[in-house]
Amino acid sequence: MYVTMINRLRTGAAIAATAALFVGGHTAHAAETLKIGVPTDLSGTYADLGNQVIRAVEFAVDEANAGGNSVEYKSLDTEANPENARRQSEKLIRDGYPIILGLIASGEGLAIAPMMERWGGLYVSTINKADGLTGEACEARVFRVNTQSAMDALTIKPWLDERKEKKWAVVAVDIAWGQGSSAAFATTAESAGKEMVGQFFIPPNTNDFAPYIQQVKDSGAEGIWVVLAGRDAINFAQQAKQFGLMDSVTVAGQSFTTDNTVKALGDVAKGIYGIINYSSTLDTPENKAFVEAWRKKYDSDPTNFEGETYVGMQVLLEAVQRAGSNDPEAVAKAMSGGEFDTIMGKLKIRAEDHQLLSPNYFGVVEEQDGVLRPVITMTATPDQVAPPVTCKM
Amino acid sequence: MLIQVLNGIAYGGLLYLLAVGLVLIFGLREIVNFAHGALFMLGSYIGFSIAAVFNFWLGLAGSLVAMTVIGIFLDAAVLRPLRKHDHMVTVLVTFGILLVLEAFATAVWGKSFRSMSAPDLLSGTVQIAGEPFPVYRLFVIGVSLCVAAGLTAWLRFSRVGLYVRASSVDPTTTAILGVDTDRLSLIVVGLGTGLAGLSGVVAAPLMALSPTMGNYILIESFIVVVVGGLGSFSGALAAALLIGQIHNFGAIYLPWASTMLPFLLMVGVLIWRPTGFAGKRT
Repeated sequence: MYVTMINRLRTGAAIAATAALFVGGHTAHAAETLKIGVPTDLSGTYADLGNQVIRAVEFAVDEANAGGNSVEYKSLDTEANPENARRQSEKLIRDGYPIILGLIASGEGLAIAPMMERWGGLYVSTINKADGLTGEACEARVFRVNTQSAMDALTIKPWLDERKEKKWAVVAVDIAWGQGSSAAFATTAESAGKEMVGQFFIPPNTNDFAPYIQQVKDSGAEGIWVVLAGRDAINFAQQAKQFGLMDSVTVAGQSFTTDNTVKALGDVAKGIYGIINYSSTLDTPENKAFVEAWRKKYDSDPTNFEGETYVGMQVLLEAVQRAGSNDPEAVAKAMSGGEFDTIMGKLKIRAEDHQLLSPNYFGVVEEQDGVLRPVITMTATPDQVAPPVTCKM
Repeated sequence: MLIQVLNGIAYGGLLYLLAVGLVLIFGLREIVNFAHGALFMLGSYIGFSIAAVFNFWLGLAGSLVAMTVIGIFLDAAVLRPLRKHDHMVTVLVTFGILLVLEAFATAVWGKSFRSMSAPDLLSGTVQIAGEPFPVYRLFVIGVSLCVAAGLTAWLRFSRVGLYVRASSVDPTTTAILGVDTDRLSLIVVGLGTGLAGLSGVVAAPLMALSPTMGNYILIESFIVVVVGGLGSFSGALAAALLIGQIHNFGAIYLPWASTMLPFLLMVGVLIWRPTGFAGKRT
């Protein structure tokens, strides 16, 4: 409805650029600024996620500039709508921000993926889950550093194998993400010997979940897989709790009980299982240093989406360094098949489909050191969750 | 089945609480108040903040009072000075107020979602027709029926109510006959805004609080107002209850069309009776 625009220019970078003009090209590399376009949801269902994306991008940009690089970003609002995502991404690229990062909904990523070559851009997915983005809809100029639904499904397989609930249902948002995740879950559940008793798709931005909750209860499901995020996740969890659904069935989800959603929901979220793609509690020296620096800047722990977005920025900045150029084509070349140092370890981007092979986690919401948060109970290595390659580039 | 009907009534009731404020303001000032969703949001946050310190009931009462005061101020400071201008000007100004209130809420409460739980007295379920039904939804139904009954009684049986009805039909003649329409307007806009605050707190345990939360529900409230007949109170109640049922049964039997159904209803009603259910005004 109305587009919020944040355009932050580091004063330091501006001064450096002006200084470079005066010394007449002695510091040629400093003059060329890396420009990143961040189309994301700033006012829709996933506005809270968009806010996290911006914080992580800002953190990484400031860090890079403090290290002597020249990086800037510009953000535009998409309201998580694929049509807006296409328009805003094209605008950003036209305005000279050819590297795109930060779209939330899978449908948005899928909408811009086929355009990247024509627009002369490069897209790095940090949140899009739909398998197709690096599967049948894969593109030379599209990379994914976050886990796709197939990887999340492989992660829950050992857990599902052990669960005694036989009948499962899916409650998913009716967009590309929800449909893809629902299909991936159904395949995994059936391979684990479970019976699917219903797949309920709910339009994004639903206020009243009562008719859907009632149908889940009537389906006789003993366990549910929830594919809702942001505002939808909170509305569903609160209303399902009031109906007694949360206490009568086993609940697990993808991007459902994320750090911020758990914070907003409080005790309602307790005991819900879920995929954890990143946690600030990861015990690696790189992650500890990152969390330390993050706390200094924002006075809070980085959330899952902030961590994932930061991984994307790390990969991107390292690829730019290796390419020795900001040109999207050169950066894409450096990314494809490359190995990158991230807060989640040294990770590889597969050349075949441009999917980053990362570890993945599973856990449950419980209290840890007096704070209610998603706590990791199972870790999967990159090899264990590497999805099959279906891309033909 | 009975449970599903009750679900529809609860959601319809919530829509009614929000829509009736729009109807009140439209009836007297003849403007569509775009800021109504933002006032709903503000009421929700005020209730949330009070409830965080004291309890839900004080949050409910506090929000109603605070929003009524804000409504009176809104009428005196914004709507009254603008009444000589084209209605479009006022409508645009209310849109501006919406943007200001959203920015204000972002500054005070932040962009992160918040949630508010129902008071202990209203959490849990009761058995209805052998199925558990949330007590809180019964409360929502109760509040909306009380508001509907209270408003009807006030409009039918009090002198001020008579003036409000008269002024809604013909403000000029009513003023000529010696009714202070400015004072009337203060009461009506105050009440309408207060009800937006009340509905904000009632809705809070059902949905996430965020600076843009009003946008998601305002569209459906507009549909209620249009289908019911602009400025009609009983029409709004009938329309809200109907849309509640359509929302509910649409989600079950026609899930692919569920988001479209309220709009189809609106188009259908406007073709059949361009003035809505109540339909006496043109």
